[in-house]
Amino acid sequence: MSSFVIEAAGLSKSFGTAHALAGVDLQVRTGESLAIMGASGSGKTTLLHCLAGITRPDSGTVGFRSGIGLVPVTELGERERSRLRREAFGFVFQQGLLIPELTAVENVALALMLNGMPRATAEQHARGWLAALGLAGLEERRIGQLSGGQAQRVAIARAQVTGATVVFADEPTGALDSQTSADVMGALLHSTTGQGRTLVVVTHDPDVAAQCSRVVEMRDGRIVGERVPGVSA
Amino acid sequence: MIARVAWLLARPGSAGAAASVLPVVAFAVVTALLLTVAGGARTFFTWTDDTSMIYQLLAVIALVLLVVPLVSLGGAAARLSARRRDDRLATLRLLGATPGAVRALAVVEAAAFALAGAVLGVLAYLAAVPLIGLIPFRGEPLTAAGVLLPWWVLVGAPIAVAALAAVSAVLGLRQMVISPLGVRTRQEAPRLHWIRVVGAVGVVAFAYALMSVIGVAQVALVLITMLAVAFGGTLAVLNLLGPWVIRLRASGQARRAKTPARLLAARSVLESPKAAWRQVGGVAMTSFMAVFAGVGVGLLGSAAVDGGNADPESAMLLADVRTGILITVVGSFLMVACSVGVGQAAAILDRADLYRSLEMLGMPVATMEAARRRAVMSPLRVTAVGSAVIAAIVMLPLTGITLIVAPLSLAVIAVVLAAGIGIVWLGLAATKPVLHRVAAG
Repeated sequence: MSSFVIEAAGLSKSFGTAHALAGVDLQVRTGESLAIMGASGSGKTTLLHCLAGITRPDSGTVGFRSGIGLVPVTELGERERSRLRREAFGFVFQQGLLIPELTAVENVALALMLNGMPRATAEQHARGWLAALGLAGLEERRIGQLSGGQAQRVAIARAQVTGATVVFADEPTGALDSQTSADVMGALLHSTTGQGRTLVVVTHDPDVAAQCSRVVEMRDGRIVGERVPGVSA
Repeated sequence: MIARVAWLLARPGSAGAAASVLPVVAFAVVTALLLTVAGGARTFFTWTDDTSMIYQLLAVIALVLLVVPLVSLGGAAARLSARRRDDRLATLRLLGATPGAVRALAVVEAAAFALAGAVLGVLAYLAAVPLIGLIPFRGEPLTAAGVLLPWWVLVGAPIAVAALAAVSAVLGLRQMVISPLGVRTRQEAPRLHWIRVVGAVGVVAFAYALMSVIGVAQVALVLITMLAVAFGGTLAVLNLLGPWVIRLRASGQARRAKTPARLLAARSVLESPKAAWRQVGGVAMTSFMAVFAGVGVGLLGSAAVDGGNADPESAMLLADVRTGILITVVGSFLMVACSVGVGQAAAILDRADLYRSLEMLGMPVATMEAARRRAVMSPLRVTAVGSAVIAAIVMLPLTGITLIVAPLSLAVIAVVLAAGIGIVWLGLAATKPVLHRVAAG
């Protein structure tokens, strides 16, 4: 059985005349933390969106290995891809993008409710995740009443509560100071790879990349380098 | 300078055509409605007999009831203007434009949309004049010549609508923060002290007592004063209690919500019950007025028939008042539908990043749509039904009697209110493409 949870081959994507991806091949190993680095416009967010089934590439394939076999992500329709994202993937964005009018626990529980779990059970699970991420006692606060770091932990809980196999994070610490950034990244790694899950993170920050098990470098829509942090090339 | 920059910015934005078309269509509908009512009123003001004053008074009330939603529409259009130019306005701030200059841009754009819509509204009114002329009052059609307004009104109306839109835009933009880093909406804390609620209940009780003893009034002036105090007092109470009731109901819904859509809708209303009220408040007055007047008309009509003194003139007057009520109720709901359409388009753009992220998380757009629908329709139903019930309470002994002796007149009002709610639903549905476009990125 393959040790890859995601396999992408020949991914190309253009927006108008701009080539965001120009033939990318990438395998993501089960249980690893993979950092995708590169300058702005290098195509790293587009790659993350293609891997997660948010964007369909112009050409190339993405496969996701689930418990029932290889799921051809790029061949799925809009509805199936939404369901896959809801049930198998988790997402953490730079600004958290939590729902401001909901409380912390409701934001996390919502991910489970979307999968049909009753609200009471969903909130019970959500409380457990919030407590595990150091947010016990803050469950009933609305997002505006939390600090940036706390809000980002809520976002991590939301990404994890469904038992996501893979968590995709787009600049998860981009809006945080260095200390909070280190705390949040630690929490993200602990709740994903620490539990045998997989993390794919897009980042500009070398400190964030240094905490991952593998780093790929992108330039002009291509992967131009790959390294293991702490190991000289 | 501002006009020149506004023109430069008037290119299609990422929000798509719907965000531009909606305000124009909304102002067109509003202008056409106002001119329709004004056209009818013009005919009334050419009458000089004994009952003409009643017609003229009712026409003025109808116009006032229709102007209130117009003001909230102007504010919503300005917020939409600021939203659809989000990145461009923020860039201008970054380049050194003052907050005042950037706000002026949004106001100019809202006024320009209002002007364009109002001109279309005038054309729509002119096209509809033959149909409006068929509406019967005093047993005869009003006639096209009778409802055709003079040229100076048709020229002045778009200017007046644009000016009103500009004024309400200035007021509406007080809730927006246009900074160099983006445009966002200020949050307001919903609070209402319980003492005000007690006071409001007191006013309704007083109005009820006043209506109970209205029969003792021997002088017309006393009668009119009592009616005005009961009517005006209760309307003021509706305005005071509206946001509080909406918050109370949404609070219960948030606790009980079992689905994501219900939870999101209830929380979104709770975020600003005042904003929810502003959007549907116009319906409160109309709904209240419809029941208040409907009960009176139904009862008087029935009494006239029973007493054998159903002279043709009185019967005609009652029939005409009934027609007027129906036209005003439908018009008011159309206004609210326009306001909801424009307000919702602005709200979607306001939360574009969030909707996009929810779509990425795998939330079906249908769920977002259902949440949005509930967040508007639930306060609307509470407002329409609640205002009707309060009117029924104030008129209580008479409401009961009308229900027995003239149930049809109340049934017609109920049907029209239901149809009005349907019209607002359509206004909401018109913003669906904006959500789909935003969610798709």
